[in-house]
Amino acid sequence: MELLGIMLAVLGAALAAGFAGSGSAIGVGIAGEAGAGVMTEDPGKFGLVLLLQALPGTQGIYGLLTAFFAILKVGIIGGEPVSVNVWQGLGVMFACLPIAIAGYYSGIAQGKTSAACIQLISKRPEETGKAVILPAMVETYAVLALLMSIILLNSISF
Amino acid sequence: MAVLKVKKATVYAHQTVTEDIVAELQRLSNCEVLSLEQQGSDARKEQIARRTKEIEDSSADARFLLRFFEPYYEDGRGVLERLLSDKPPVTLKELEDLLRKTDINEIVEQARKIERRLVELRATLSYLDAKQSILETLEGFPYDLSLISQGTKNITSIFGNIPTEQTERLKLAFENASGDRGELFFGFAGEKAAQVPVVMIFDKSVSADVVEAASSVTLSRVDFPKDLEGTVEDAKKLVVEERKKLLEEETNLKERAKGLSAQWVPTIQRLFDYHEILRKRYEALLQGQTTREVSIIKLWVPENVLETFKNTLKRYEDLIEVALEDPDPAAGDDPPTMLENPKWALPFEPLTRLYGLPPYGGMDPTVPMAPFMFVFLGMCLGDGGYGIVLSMLILWLSSRYKITGDKRNFFNLLFLGSVSTIFFGAITGSWLGDMIDAFGSLAFLRSLKNSVVLLQPMENPLNFLGISLALGVIQVIFGLFLALWENLRKGNYIAAFGDQGGWIALITGLLIFGGFSAGFLGQAAGFAGKVLSLFGVVLLVTTQGREKSGIVSKALSGILSLYNITSYLGDVLSYSRLLALGLATSAVAMIINTLTGLVVGIPYVGVVLAVIIFLGGHVFSIAVNTLGAFIHSLRLQYVEFFSKFYSGGGRAFEPLAYDTKYVQVLTAEAENTP
Repeated sequence: MELLGIMLAVLGAALAAGFAGSGSAIGVGIAGEAGAGVMTEDPGKFGLVLLLQALPGTQGIYGLLTAFFAILKVGIIGGEPVSVNVWQGLGVMFACLPIAIAGYYSGIAQGKTSAACIQLISKRPEETGKAVILPAMVETYAVLALLMSIILLNSISF
Repeated sequence: MAVLKVKKATVYAHQTVTEDIVAELQRLSNCEVLSLEQQGSDARKEQIARRTKEIEDSSADARFLLRFFEPYYEDGRGVLERLLSDKPPVTLKELEDLLRKTDINEIVEQARKIERRLVELRATLSYLDAKQSILETLEGFPYDLSLISQGTKNITSIFGNIPTEQTERLKLAFENASGDRGELFFGFAGEKAAQVPVVMIFDKSVSADVVEAASSVTLSRVDFPKDLEGTVEDAKKLVVEERKKLLEEETNLKERAKGLSAQWVPTIQRLFDYHEILRKRYEALLQGQTTREVSIIKLWVPENVLETFKNTLKRYEDLIEVALEDPDPAAGDDPPTMLENPKWALPFEPLTRLYGLPPYGGMDPTVPMAPFMFVFLGMCLGDGGYGIVLSMLILWLSSRYKITGDKRNFFNLLFLGSVSTIFFGAITGSWLGDMIDAFGSLAFLRSLKNSVVLLQPMENPLNFLGISLALGVIQVIFGLFLALWENLRKGNYIAAFGDQGGWIALITGLLIFGGFSAGFLGQAAGFAGKVLSLFGVVLLVTTQGREKSGIVSKALSGILSLYNITSYLGDVLSYSRLLALGLATSAVAMIINTLTGLVVGIPYVGVVLAVIIFLGGHVFSIAVNTLGAFIHSLRLQYVEFFSKFYSGGGRAFEPLAYDTKYVQVLTAEAENTP
């Protein structure tokens, strides 16, 4: 049964990295489309556009982070293998869910906000500061989910 | 931490000196010109408007030249240097001399000539292209090309393209129409081409029949270049030669443009800036009112430059009259906002401007925000190694380039952030993540690292979470106190005690009571907490419905307002991001170190891979996490902190000054040359 425990943890890690990464990919994609549109008018805005396009990318990093945490926890990489029973494995998997779910949806939502803010800077480049803050409002929930995932992972003991 | 006071000044100046005075004010760069109601126009106004028009024309010339030369101009500076360095300094006098010395019309003339010729060349080249592609398809044409292009006394021709599948039909029709008085030649456009070029040469006597025959197929006629003659081979050679000649000329012209741009662009940039300065100056004149003898200009003058302002105008004493409006700005005015902060808070000032300036007479949030921002930046980035790398980078850039203005402020802000980061990295034991523990060769640093560690967020995140939330409580309550103070200052006592006092009492009361329940505080404190929070509730219930009419709706909105406690709860919880981002930085760094450790064992390429992963990973991590730390710290200020006491809405001070794009006008120098 030990193997099942570890595999459940692996599933958790896969969900975290996969879903949060997908959310970021879609989000960055949405922002990139808007960015390309703006740059057809003014290629000089590349730097600003890139900055805004990168913002929805953090969910993917959070997901990856949680995934690493999860597999470090069960000793798949770096360190001694730990014995994990099914319940502990399930626990690790559940702990990965906050960032998997919130990462996916917030990545997409943040991408849309970034796209809108790219439109904003195309008209008013002097308002870049504000344009960066609005997508960051969305990211809050990914940060909170990451926090919960980490705390949950941390509180599972073997 | 204040918004500078401004005075409204009215200058009545005799027409003979108005231009000088406006120039002086522009040099001062400290006065904002008000736009006055315009009453009709007069000779003087028209004169100024004419002058403005002249300046705009010259400015347009300079703009044309800059646009034309831009692709050819290299100023020999790197990207970083262009981004960070100051604009080259000049004095106004130098600019004036430059304008006198430079014959801009002649440069414009030359540039236009080059531009015209380049356009011609491009047109000719594309004509040559067309010729060449025709010649390619006529490979093997047996006669002189002049037969097609010009014909002879008796012979004429038709040249065009027909769909490939209609060649047979055309052959038949043409033979029928011309008999032995014509000849048909098919060109070759390629194996799979849908169209075939065709030449019909025939005696003029049968031309009506041939035209009829040609109309039986879908022929699209093409104008044959009139100047093609000789054999196809010769003509091709001529085209190649001509193209070579033209390309050479084009290269020469571009070289010339490059030479001219190297010679003139700096000058034109300066002239452009000088025209901008003049334009601003005359615009300011147009904002005022004029009578036959006198111009009236109204200005906002910050109080701290009032003396300089008066001294500057002293020289014209006999010809002007300056009236200062007293007391301070009246109700209908829209005075501008200028921030004045102590030096240590200056790096944080752009953040206030980014959110929106306070209204005139309002509170400047820069100083209250600065310490929090400093701490939050450090907590969010939270890695000593990254802090050191960042601070070194900033120090290196600062020593290499002369950085001023808002860029300087931003760099200072980043530097402060990196100092704070080093501190938090040290007390959490994070140096490029767990680098010191991960690599055996760094073992000698372990005891040093561990000696300053106070918190271990990786092992025990709840402690750090507690600290983050406590900081949140402190900042939120501090924000409420600021609002309370502001309300007291304005005399809104009910708002001060009801809105802010009530919440402060309720929140601190609950916290004290919570401390008692958790067993940290004694019985007496628990009781005090209860009383304080009840007092807060009473205050809120009685005051929050004060704008409603009727006792029932007053009470109801009072009680409903208590629901807002959730928003305070949300605000405080939002500070948990301080832990999350700090953890994320350390964890990303740790993962990079782990990966490095994993690949280093691979034979042959292991070390190379390890170096790439280690360096690349950490550089990426610094970039991503610094951006995140910055944005999220800023968000806490804007959303959680500012919302308690600050709303912005001020208008930025826009003094009449030297607003230049390419150079920086030295005002101090100019002072010596009146």
